[in-house]
Amino acid sequence: MATLTVKDLSKTFPAVSKGGQPVRAIADISFQMSGQVFVSLVGPSGCGKSTLLNIVSGVETPTSGSVSVTQDGKPARLGYVFQDPRLLPWRTVLQNMAYVSDLDEDEARANARRYLEIVGLSDAEDMFPGQLSGGMQQRVGIARAFSVGPDLLLMDEPFSHLDAITARLLREQLQEMWNATKKTVLFVTHDVMEAVQLSNRIITLAHGGTVFDDITVDLPFPRRASDPEFAQHQARILGRFEEMEAERSTATSSG
Amino acid sequence: MTASTVTPASLAPPRRGKIRRSLTSDWAARITFYVSIIVAWQLLAWQVDRMPAPWETFDFLYRELTGGSHGGVITGVFWEHFLVTLQRFSIGLGFGFVIGVILGVAIGTLGFVKSLLNDVMLVFLALPAVIWAFLTVMWFGLGWAAPVYTVILSTIPFVAVNVTQGIRAVSPDLHRMSGAFRVPRERRLRHLMLPAITGYMFTGLRFAVIIGWNAVLLAEWFGSTNGVGWRARFWYDAARYRGFLGWVLIFIAFIFLLDGFVMRPLQRRAFRWRDGRTGDGDQDAAESVIDTMAARGV
Repeated sequence: MATLTVKDLSKTFPAVSKGGQPVRAIADISFQMSGQVFVSLVGPSGCGKSTLLNIVSGVETPTSGSVSVTQDGKPARLGYVFQDPRLLPWRTVLQNMAYVSDLDEDEARANARRYLEIVGLSDAEDMFPGQLSGGMQQRVGIARAFSVGPDLLLMDEPFSHLDAITARLLREQLQEMWNATKKTVLFVTHDVMEAVQLSNRIITLAHGGTVFDDITVDLPFPRRASDPEFAQHQARILGRFEEMEAERSTATSSG
Repeated sequence: MTASTVTPASLAPPRRGKIRRSLTSDWAARITFYVSIIVAWQLLAWQVDRMPAPWETFDFLYRELTGGSHGGVITGVFWEHFLVTLQRFSIGLGFGFVIGVILGVAIGTLGFVKSLLNDVMLVFLALPAVIWAFLTVMWFGLGWAAPVYTVILSTIPFVAVNVTQGIRAVSPDLHRMSGAFRVPRERRLRHLMLPAITGYMFTGLRFAVIIGWNAVLLAEWFGSTNGVGWRARFWYDAARYRGFLGWVLIFIAFIFLLDGFVMRPLQRRAFRWRDGRTGDGDQDAAESVIDTMAARGV
């Protein structure tokens, strides 16, 4: 069982120019997640969501605090889905999948084909990314992340660059894939509806990079936005954001 | 006839005749261009005494190519000179390309090499081939060395600068992706770095071919006793302008054939992955060659 432990995590970026202010991206974040959960990190733009994900994946180092990802006590294998597909443009879809695989060549191909079939892209395996639509490229990105058999799957606003219809289809597909695999997922988004649709648990971040709410969403899948309970959850989270914004504006005007 | 059977004009199939369509095709435009050039050339020849007419020039070319007589004891010797030049050009280009790639990789990956050579490359890039032609003739005298070294020295910077650009252009996002998935170093080199520079290497090679051909002709003109450049000068010095003009046509034809039948197909292969995109990569590269050459005043 994969466990992600984030403890007193802070990250401050040095000032871009001389005399500028250092930028605090996240401040003293702590939470833990474990097992078959789909956790969403929700927050406004610039609240440090992506920075947190980069630290978890090891691309960035924290200023203070610690992050550990373990799988039954051992270091865990990570999968990553980015905002943009990040495929090698000069390699075919199948070669792109094999690029990140730990398996030897034949097994990697067979494994890649299995996941391409799940996302409905079996016919595209010999195509180059430039020949695919944005949505298809992102599906390759998702298939790639699942194909490495990750203990923890990190997703950074994977649907934010897609049109609404494509995003909706891909969300449904992701939900089905999660139901079938029950991976431990940490999903970053600024879209509250998306978070409510996909997650078991939603952690909300405020400006300045602090956790201000942590709720469990206990609705059965598949979820419909028209369902009253869905709407309640969504309204509650949005309401809390509004409160927070109101506090922030009074704090700035009085300070 | 009733009004209901009338087809709106906009829905009717276009009635443009076959002839009109073929007259406005790309193919027709190209033919028109060449015909206009020859007509303008003929008009110029009527006006200017020293300007040979097209037919005179083509007649000269035919004799030169087939070993026919130019009058007196002089006969056509195209292949002898062409093959010598082709050898010098190939040797120079081969060395220039390999050295250029090595330097380009070094400048792109090693900080101290970059600080050491960046400005030097700029100077090399700005030096016209004619300077190298003069210098190498001063250093090595008449013969093989001057044209070969001129080609090497004038092609290196074009290859190096392009390869360096290729290395810098590798997307940091793809590096980060590879990092997040813990892709081993050897695989990153083979599937990320190498393909990223291949296209730039081809662009560099295409520059090098054009610049190198330019260079070998110049060096032969000033510092050789045979070769294409020397032969062109031979006719120029003899005031036989149809000979000079004929060789100019040969220079141009060679570079066109090489670019069209060797370089472009090779580059298209290297850029196969861009096929599905809207932009025409090959076109871009060709335009960038022209832009850079224009900037250099070549």
